Amino acid sequence: MEEIKADETLDARGLSCPMPVLRTKKALQRLLPGQILEVLSTDPGTRNDLPNWCKRTGNEYLGEKQEKGFTRFYIRKK
Amino acid sequence: MRSELEVLAKKFREGYGTLFHQQWPALTGGILLGLLSILVAAWDRPWGIVGGIRNWADWLCYGLGLYPARPENPFLSTSSVLDIGLISGAFASALMAQEFAFRRPPLVEMVKGFAGGVLMGVGAALARGCNVGGFYSPLINLSAGGFPMLAGLIAGAFIGLKCLLWELEKFPAKPAPSPGRSEGTEFGWKLIQPYLGVLVFTGLILAAFLYSERAYTVLGGLLLFGAAFGLILQRCRFCFVRAFRDPFMTGDASVAKAVALSIVIGAVGVGILKWAGFRSESMWVTPVFWWGSLAGGFVFGTGMVIAGGCGSGTLWRAAEGQLKLWAALLTFATTNSLATFWLKNAGWQQKLGKAVFLPDAFGWGGSILFIALIMFIWYLAVTWNEETNRFTAGL
Repeated sequence: MEEIKADETLDARGLSCPMPVLRTKKALQRLLPGQILEVLSTDPGTRNDLPNWCKRTGNEYLGEKQEKGFTRFYIRKK
Repeated sequence: MRSELEVLAKKFREGYGTLFHQQWPALTGGILLGLLSILVAAWDRPWGIVGGIRNWADWLCYGLGLYPARPENPFLSTSSVLDIGLISGAFASALMAQEFAFRRPPLVEMVKGFAGGVLMGVGAALARGCNVGGFYSPLINLSAGGFPMLAGLIAGAFIGLKCLLWELEKFPAKPAPSPGRSEGTEFGWKLIQPYLGVLVFTGLILAAFLYSERAYTVLGGLLLFGAAFGLILQRCRFCFVRAFRDPFMTGDASVAKAVALSIVIGAVGVGILKWAGFRSESMWVTPVFWWGSLAGGFVFGTGMVIAGGCGSGTLWRAAEGQLKLWAALLTFATTNSLATFWLKNAGWQQKLGKAVFLPDAFGWGGSILFIALIMFIWYLAVTWNEETNRFTAGL
């Protein structure tokens, strides 16, 4: 995945299900349509939960990037 | 020759990836749990969670001098052995998936873990079981107590979610700076995890043989059943909390559907075991119908959403290294031990309700049909809500 420039970052590291999804929802409310949110998470479940949640809500899931000890996720607000 | 071996190696990697790098679908989990629940009931006893962790907490309270009588040996108690198997199996499974890590949550999350655990402990004492022993296993054993618990769990999950949403409004996360790219890749620990996982599974099989050597074959089998439950739960990230919470939170009904199907499969299987006389009719028909299971379900349901894990979910998440669930497990077990002790001594345990065996009212076939009907109504409600978002909390 090439570099994605995020407009805002949500640090959900250390949080467990369902808090990463709930906090993502809340953080997206601050963004304008088309802007990109970066979510940092350490919960293995997030890898499935965020794409599923995006599918249900119509936001665009752009992909994930594995880092040392956590994962970055990118979402474009609808 | 060489290329054939390469293909074999490639297929091995693909197969391993399917098993341990991709999450299994919820429906697969529901079917497997249903089948495993029938097999474990045929082997010795139905699946349960709370009895085992209460046994551990009983020892803690006994050690502190709170209880007069010595609790059962945790390595000879069937409940405890099932839980030891479940935790070890989930731990090994997380290792094989390279998903084990100590995940340290912020302080607020730890407090939620402790608080949720207290509610779960009290709720499971009233209902004589958690989401498994108070809801899932009673239903597949054709005991009426599972139905009020279902209602209680749904209501409790709704209140628990309200608490989480309140927290979200009250304490919004501030935007964080994006950390720079980390250099290099994950260090060696992650690479050796799968080998450690194989080692733990091998150890479990050896332990089962040791039990068998000493004429405890039944316990050895239960240890392996526990491990199989742990493996399935961890690989599916199977979470009963989601079945009750997600319809309100995101509208997603996939886990609710999986649990409903699992119960129908289990009820047919265990129903046959009981009908054919392989198992006593009264097995797991607990005297909590209806207010013990209703109130217990409500309190437990609220607690599990706050803690982020039900009875089974708390165990496999703790085994994966999530410290918040360690906190929940600690208070869940100790309050359950204390509350059960108190209920017994105060004479309240007999007042929690009656033991109602469904076939006494509906006959064998009628009972299974009745359970299937209630599960179908639940299925209809959550899938209708999934489409209409009628009860989904503003997402």
